[in-house]
Amino acid sequence: MLTYIARRLLTLIPMVIVISFLIYLGLELTPGDAVSHMVPPDARSMMDEERLQALRESLGLGKPFIVRYWIWITGVMQGEFGYSLAGGVPISKIFLDRLPATLELSFAALLISTVLGSILGTISALTRGSLTDQSLTVVGMLGVSIPEFFFGLVAILVFALNLNWFPVGGRILPGYDSFWDRLPHLVMPAMVLSIMMTAGVMRYARSSMLDALSRDFIRTARSKGMPEWRVNILHGFRVALTPVIVLIGFRLPVLIGGSVIIEQVFQWPGIGKEFVSAVRSQDYPLVMMVALFSVLAVLIASLIVDLLTAIIDPRVRLGE
Amino acid sequence: MANEVALTVNGLKTYIYTNNRCNRALDGVSFEIRQGKTLCIVGESGCGKSVTADSIMQLLPTLSRIEDGEITYHGPDGPVRIDQLPRDGAKMRAIRGKEIAMIFQDPMTALNPVYSIGFQIKEMLKYHTGLGRSDRHSKAIDLLRSMGIPLPEKRVNEYPHLYSGGMRQRAMIAIAMSCNPRILIADEPTTALDVTIQAQIFELMDTLKRDHGTAIMLITHDMGVVAELADDVAVMYMGNIVEAGPVGKVLRNPVHPYTRALLESIPVLGRGKDQEIKAIPGQTPDPYNRPKGCQFADRCAYRIGACDQMPDETQVAPDHRVTCWRYEEFAADAAE
Ligand SMILES: Nc1ncnc2c1ncn2[C@@H]1O[C@H](COP(=O)(O)OP(=O)(O)O)[C@@H](O)[C@H]1O
Ligand code: SF4
Ligand SMILES: [Mg+2]
Repeated sequence: MLTYIARRLLTLIPMVIVISFLIYLGLELTPGDAVSHMVPPDARSMMDEERLQALRESLGLGKPFIVRYWIWITGVMQGEFGYSLAGGVPISKIFLDRLPATLELSFAALLISTVLGSILGTISALTRGSLTDQSLTVVGMLGVSIPEFFFGLVAILVFALNLNWFPVGGRILPGYDSFWDRLPHLVMPAMVLSIMMTAGVMRYARSSMLDALSRDFIRTARSKGMPEWRVNILHGFRVALTPVIVLIGFRLPVLIGGSVIIEQVFQWPGIGKEFVSAVRSQDYPLVMMVALFSVLAVLIASLIVDLLTAIIDPRVRLGE
Repeated sequence: MANEVALTVNGLKTYIYTNNRCNRALDGVSFEIRQGKTLCIVGESGCGKSVTADSIMQLLPTLSRIEDGEITYHGPDGPVRIDQLPRDGAKMRAIRGKEIAMIFQDPMTALNPVYSIGFQIKEMLKYHTGLGRSDRHSKAIDLLRSMGIPLPEKRVNEYPHLYSGGMRQRAMIAIAMSCNPRILIADEPTTALDVTIQAQIFELMDTLKRDHGTAIMLITHDMGVVAELADDVAVMYMGNIVEAGPVGKVLRNPVHPYTRALLESIPVLGRGKDQEIKAIPGQTPDPYNRPKGCQFADRCAYRIGACDQMPDETQVAPDHRVTCWRYEEFAADAAE
């Protein structure tokens, strides 16, 4: 198991190198140079051309592209993310401020869609062909095909404006910042963000469960005289779970992409919302760092999923 | 004890429904399984052997039904009509596994890959015995040991993928025998295994029969297996038992053309390489479009006009029965 983890970690390194290189290349091809990205604009306006040139030299901008990439990536690895073009705020500070909100939202949505999707999919499989199953199938199809922002707007209209159950948007009211104060703000964006993923997980869990239930060991379990729930859950669901977790791993980018839109709709102060305004104001350094972090997030998430499946599957866990 | 009947099946009709069509998979099947004896059910693929076993265990597909007939289990508390019990009711579940246990054709797929062998034995003990946790564990080890699994203390915690095919079938037998059932049903338990492993598994089953007095119903399509293991044999064809009796009589004096054809289709040990082996001509009929009379008529060399009607079952001896219009001629021929 330990060698397995080590091997998986090692495979991450080349991926990170390739992707960060592509991102740096993108940055290189955009107008402006590193100085304009690294020096806060206020400070820059105070500097004369000679000092800027000296700074460029000291930063090694005369050096070849590859060398500069190396300097950049080692800088990033040491936490020097540069500055946002808007207001010259250090990007690291933006991350520190915004990341918790995004993580909170994504994690809540992930939790909802995993639990709800697996349960509904299992119910659907166990009642195959029934009205319950058919309605769930229809709901699932709607869930994967209707865009999230639409659900978001409808949710705001119905539950926030008409019924007044939840706040329209935002995350924290000034002065109220415990988790329980924030929870009402979290409910709608998390639910809406999870819809597409829940529907996907549900459909997949259904077919995975049906597949598991058709296997021979289910008949063996039944032949042992065990009650149906044990046959279905302990033997069926347990085996159906592995592919579902793999699917969730594959779908994580969808969740990350979705959070960009949902944060916008609900004015959720996370990285996604920051990303949208960064793109609008052509704040390339920030866009690049967010892109790099999203890619890292997906890679790390897929690593976690791999480890989870390994833990679930005895063949991997016990080192085959 | 030797002749105590453990299970009686009488006139069993099990129909399977697919795509709004009815497959009369079992069309009036009768037999007995005796304590401490092996009944072999033999016949070509698709003749209804598995459906017979699944009817007894109430493990039939959802769209199927026991339409007629009786399955009576002669348990320690008197006879129980299995066919009248709800499929997944507590009574049926108390019999399944504890009183009548089953092993299946493919040990590679019959065990759950995500649970250890020990877990899969112990869950059986948990449901059918009052044993505590640690007793269940040591019982699981004992069972594996008595099935001839080396290092059972270590093996008990291993997962099925670390077991070879033969070992998995031994583990399956350990599960099946864990509650000391009165009847063991084995549905082609060695078809998926090598010949040498096959012999070992059969030897193990024979030992269990002798040591525990277990009644065994062994399903096979191989007459060689019948010759080796059976006490009684029932030959099945298209949902009917065409001939049944003690193994000596049926193999030595077969009176049904299908039994004879089956016997001619296998090599007999000791007769050397030049012996004549004749495959049975033709194919089994379409189960949805069965012949009206004798099901074997289309492939039978002895067919006569009367065969367009279904023959009755006749006793050629008190313990030997056959379903064929011309059985008398074959009986006379066999007696010569
Ligand atoms: N699950 C099932 N669904 C539909 N038909 C089945 C099913 N199981 C068996 N049958 C049909 O029942 C008949 C008997 O099959 P089976 O008992 O499996 O034969 P075998 O003697 O090879 O074990 C065949 O015609 C087969 O097509
Ligand atoms: S009844 Fe007729 S067709 Fe059927 S086995 Fe006997 S002789 Fe052959
Ligand atoms: Mg079969």
